[in-house]
Amino acid sequence: MMKKFDAAFKSGPQLRSLGMARALDRLALSKQHLNPTGNFTPAASLSSLASLNEGTKYSPDFKKYSFDESTGKVISYFHDVPLGLDTSNRTANMIAEIPRWSNAKFEINAKLPGNPITQDVKDGKVRFVKNLFPYHGYVHNYGAFPQTWEDPTTKDRELSLYGDNDPLDVCDIGDEVLETGAIKRVKILGSMALVDSGELDWKIIVINVDDPMAKELHDIHDVYVRCPGLLEATRQWFRFYKVPDGKPKNHIAFNGKFKTQQETVELLEEYHSAWKRLVSGETKGEGLPNISNTTLENTPGFTSSLVNPSSLKKSQEPPADIPSDVNLIYYSSND
Amino acid sequence: MSFTTRQIGAANTLDYKVYIEKNGKPISAFHDIPLYANEEKTVLNMIVEVPRWTNAKLEVSKEEKLNPIIQDTKKGKLRYVRNCFPHHGYIHNYGAFPQTWEDPNQTHPETKAKGDNDPLDVCEIGEQVGYPGQIKQVKVLGVMALLDEGETDWKVIVIDVNDPLASKLNDIEDVETHLPGLLRATNEWFRIYKIPDGKPENQFAFSGECKNKKYAEEVVNECSEAWEKLIKGESEKGDISLVNTTLSSTASFSEAAVNEIPPASPQPSAPVDKSIDKWFFISGAH
Repeated sequence: MMKKFDAAFKSGPQLRSLGMARALDRLALSKQHLNPTGNFTPAASLSSLASLNEGTKYSPDFKKYSFDESTGKVISYFHDVPLGLDTSNRTANMIAEIPRWSNAKFEINAKLPGNPITQDVKDGKVRFVKNLFPYHGYVHNYGAFPQTWEDPTTKDRELSLYGDNDPLDVCDIGDEVLETGAIKRVKILGSMALVDSGELDWKIIVINVDDPMAKELHDIHDVYVRCPGLLEATRQWFRFYKVPDGKPKNHIAFNGKFKTQQETVELLEEYHSAWKRLVSGETKGEGLPNISNTTLENTPGFTSSLVNPSSLKKSQEPPADIPSDVNLIYYSSND
Repeated sequence: MSFTTRQIGAANTLDYKVYIEKNGKPISAFHDIPLYANEEKTVLNMIVEVPRWTNAKLEVSKEEKLNPIIQDTKKGKLRYVRNCFPHHGYIHNYGAFPQTWEDPNQTHPETKAKGDNDPLDVCEIGEQVGYPGQIKQVKVLGVMALLDEGETDWKVIVIDVNDPLASKLNDIEDVETHLPGLLRATNEWFRIYKIPDGKPENQFAFSGECKNKKYAEEVVNECSEAWEKLIKGESEKGDISLVNTTLSSTASFSEAAVNEIPPASPQPSAPVDKSIDKWFFISGAH
């Protein structure tokens, strides 16, 4: 029954009447309620996780895998690293992809088995984000929440937009510069609904729980007070960051307003459920992420081995040179 | 004229030194590099001390023989500038003009403050990130008069003559046209950069206005004249080492000084303490 409705979702939104859309949205809601949380028990525990590398950093062949030392297996950053959402303390696990003040666009690769972190490639070249004056590279430690997914087959209830087919994006505002591949416990503070090329692409604002300020930040409002200018900069950065590449400005839904901590925790639960529907095989479609994993035994993507760890290295080869034009600064005359 | 560098030790340590060399021989960064790089005096030599987006407070040592670039210390500890949001480290390639001096015995008629006893500071706004000891050929665009703890501390705004924008930038107003917001950010940065260290906000003379190219050239000229007096022994030199290897008419000329400079021993940079990555949020700064 549900699968049929899923098929209807994908067959084309243009066929859906407004009444139909409402019915489907209500169904999506009830599906969420029907889907019990915690039906998978991920085996990976954070303390035994390390990373293993393949290829040269800043080249298209670079891959960084998550590796569970206790089992000796390569695990998926996307599916096997636990989200560990604690709804009472409002904390979860984040995977760092791009260290603050750097430009190389590293991200969890949704297509490859094991979902390693790779550098985004465009026209055969590795991608770097431009420096938008007055910022240097990314303004935050940028990364993702494992075991979450922005579903491209289903429209968001409030905004009526499809998801971007990736894990939820995270902006950590802690002082420590996080290395690519690091997994950190973070406190959820709020979120911003970026609309990028017509797709919904939430940016969740968090702080590393080890940061001295984590105890003092209880909600998004505290970020306004304690980190003056940071949320405005976050908005400005995400609106403009693709403009130097000749793309239009991004749009921020809800008039640029940030969601509260409570709303954001609910968002995480919702996108964690969407991920469950993905790895359980319930959500189907073309171009969906690779769901291979080594810890979710009752799922269709479960396998005993994703990648042979013996071909991977703990240390990293010397990185390739970063092209000097990555240092260029782009000025915008209006904001 | 081509210059090279001679590195001693590892960056981010007390041992680190960068000497400037000409034809492989150490020269004084302060006294031996000509201020002007052409006869028309439209192109100047600048010594890069701090590359953009970095924090280590590197500067030409006034006191050490042949004035190598070293990292400033306070109470025996290496000094770093703090990151003041939204900036990362220094926002320009920061450095100095050789053969210039801000005379601490002279009160400037307009700023009513004395010089800070250093070579004239320079902010290079081109797109390339420099390196410590790099000698860039630059053109002057304007100047800001920072009053840092009561002393005049001119910041000359320049651009590398090889930068793609250089031909379009001929005076200070062109900077706002082509690099909108940069002068405002420069003003903000210098006002607040010592606040994280518990110091008060710095003030600017002229209500923070950036003076134009003509004014800046006069400041450069005054500081060039002040250095001339210094090197000739006509000013009180204090702790400043005037030893040089090219100005044969000066009393402090010494060809033998090069023999006292250690050979190159570059080492990979030492890690910077993680606390330097902290971002300081200063309310009301923007």
